[in-house]
Amino acid sequence: MNKLKIGVIFGSRSTEHDVSIITAIASIIKPINLTEEYEAVPIYIDKLGRWYCDPALADINLYTKDNIGNYLAKLRPVLLELNGGFNLIKPGLKDKKLKIDVIFPATHGTHGEDGELMGMLDLINVPYVGSEMPASVLSMDKSLAKIMAEFSGIPTSRFVFFYAKEFLNNQQAIMMRLKDLNFPLFVKPVHLGSSIAISRVTDNKALVNAIELAAHYDEKIIVEEAVNNLVEVTLPIMGNNELKPALLEQPLLKDEAFFDFNTKYMSGGKKGKNTKQGAQGYSKLPADLPKGLYKEAEEIALKVYRVLGLKGIARVDLLIDLKAKEVYFNEVNPLPGSLYAHNWQQAGTSSVSLISQLIKLAQERFEEKKELNTIFETNYLKQY
Amino acid sequence: MQIIVDKLAVNYELKGNGRLVLLLHGWGDSLVTYSALMNYLSPRFQVVALDLPGFGGSEAAPEAWNLDNYCFFIAHFLDKLELSNPYAIIGHSNGGALAIRALSMECLRADKLILIAASGIRNGNHNKQLLIKAVAKTGKLTTFWLPKPSRQKLQRKLYGTIGSDMMAVPQLRETFKLTVKQDVQADAAKLKLPVLLIFAKHDPAIPYKDAITYHNLIPNSKLKEIDSSDHFIHHDQPDLVFKLIGEFL
Repeated sequence: MNKLKIGVIFGSRSTEHDVSIITAIASIIKPINLTEEYEAVPIYIDKLGRWYCDPALADINLYTKDNIGNYLAKLRPVLLELNGGFNLIKPGLKDKKLKIDVIFPATHGTHGEDGELMGMLDLINVPYVGSEMPASVLSMDKSLAKIMAEFSGIPTSRFVFFYAKEFLNNQQAIMMRLKDLNFPLFVKPVHLGSSIAISRVTDNKALVNAIELAAHYDEKIIVEEAVNNLVEVTLPIMGNNELKPALLEQPLLKDEAFFDFNTKYMSGGKKGKNTKQGAQGYSKLPADLPKGLYKEAEEIALKVYRVLGLKGIARVDLLIDLKAKEVYFNEVNPLPGSLYAHNWQQAGTSSVSLISQLIKLAQERFEEKKELNTIFETNYLKQY
Repeated sequence: MQIIVDKLAVNYELKGNGRLVLLLHGWGDSLVTYSALMNYLSPRFQVVALDLPGFGGSEAAPEAWNLDNYCFFIAHFLDKLELSNPYAIIGHSNGGALAIRALSMECLRADKLILIAASGIRNGNHNKQLLIKAVAKTGKLTTFWLPKPSRQKLQRKLYGTIGSDMMAVPQLRETFKLTVKQDVQADAAKLKLPVLLIFAKHDPAIPYKDAITYHNLIPNSKLKEIDSSDHFIHHDQPDLVFKLIGEFL
């Protein structure tokens, strides 16, 4: 039986390049290759934006042992043929053509998860896993996602957004706009994930420093009020039309800290040995919430998923004021790191089943879209 | 925490209350090296440690830096956080050389200095330096005909035999070359503040005679010799080292 070729695109010009490598290799390529019907084709975009395709790029040792530069020096970047689907051309004495049946994007952050890649895949007309360009754009701009949520009656914490240039040109004006918000505040680059350049600040001096930091990474910045008596939870959701939630997960925070990049990826967090709760060792899974609040949080997350038009898979982050029993929408990840496979596993969906269901959802969505009419016959040209 | 200093994103940790203690890590290391020491000192002091540019979670400078560039950067970092001059500076390895240079140039002022296995005495390794220079220059000539991966592999091997530090952070190779050129003995001789020298007798990276040289150069210095330890004395003998630091401060 000919296996369906699943092109797993990862890396790219993003601050989350390295996280993407782990997602692609550990959570997507490995389970794909355990199936009988699919075969993973690793497609790696390096930090300069060059595309490579080679079976060895699925070996994590290439990246962890710092050999990737040497290995890529031996390869030639691939070319992409746009007509008739997603075809990779491997240049050589005789060019080799490789037709990809379904794309599985594993890129986090900019130039990938933010909708750019999805736009290109739609244009090429190839099935792909996950949300389309509009939902990806909305989700990856924290301010737009919050505006959409607010518009749909979903509570979010109070926020102000602005462009880095506005701050650099007229700091005073921006500080005036921020005056209405109450400390402690969170400062975030709107487009970045994995908690990169996010700061929690309690005074004006720290606020200015945090905005400078966010402006170092992004053109647009959001400043949000913190939620009191906070319990932070996150819910992975799968589906196109019929939605399937996994389990509400509650990250464990140290003291007054928050879940920054180091906590998530560098401090042994995901492989932490000190906590028994949660498959990744840093969270309570499922979240320890009163039944009613758990249900409410789940419903709000599902509503966010629908309002933003997400497809395939996403993870919705919520903030809960435990005393006031209020649930606020925080942000959404259209491509959760490592697909949150540990959570799905505990919810009864194995990694192999997860990627198989996601590929099927991609194919279903592709078929659905075919039914939309994109041709509109007119006599405009004849009249011209 | 991160902050922008001189257009570079810098990772740092600030803990505790009281007089300020600044911690400077060595080459190829990061502020994590001081996690236990920070916990030890923070009940008595305000402790700040940063990842120097190019190391840990801090961005590298776009051009090669020498010790002076790093010194000015550290001063700008403290200014940005509105921290006063430190009461004490603790520097390990290259962080020690940086502390000596910064105090001598007066871009930092402090009441006390602790040097743990500090580098900065370069003439002791004169032959090694010459060899590094020679390989840095001739390595390119003798290997230029090889394909890039093999060339890099061979160069790595050549460098590895003489200066593994240089390859620890490949993108900082030029900075490393500038750093090892800079001898701080004259700077050390200018220091008037009380200095505690903690050096390991059998440190494979810093010969013990460097400790004696520093001790002779710095009039107000105390030398503590640690018997069984590697270059990272604060990891190998934390109880002993922390006690010495605590008493000195």
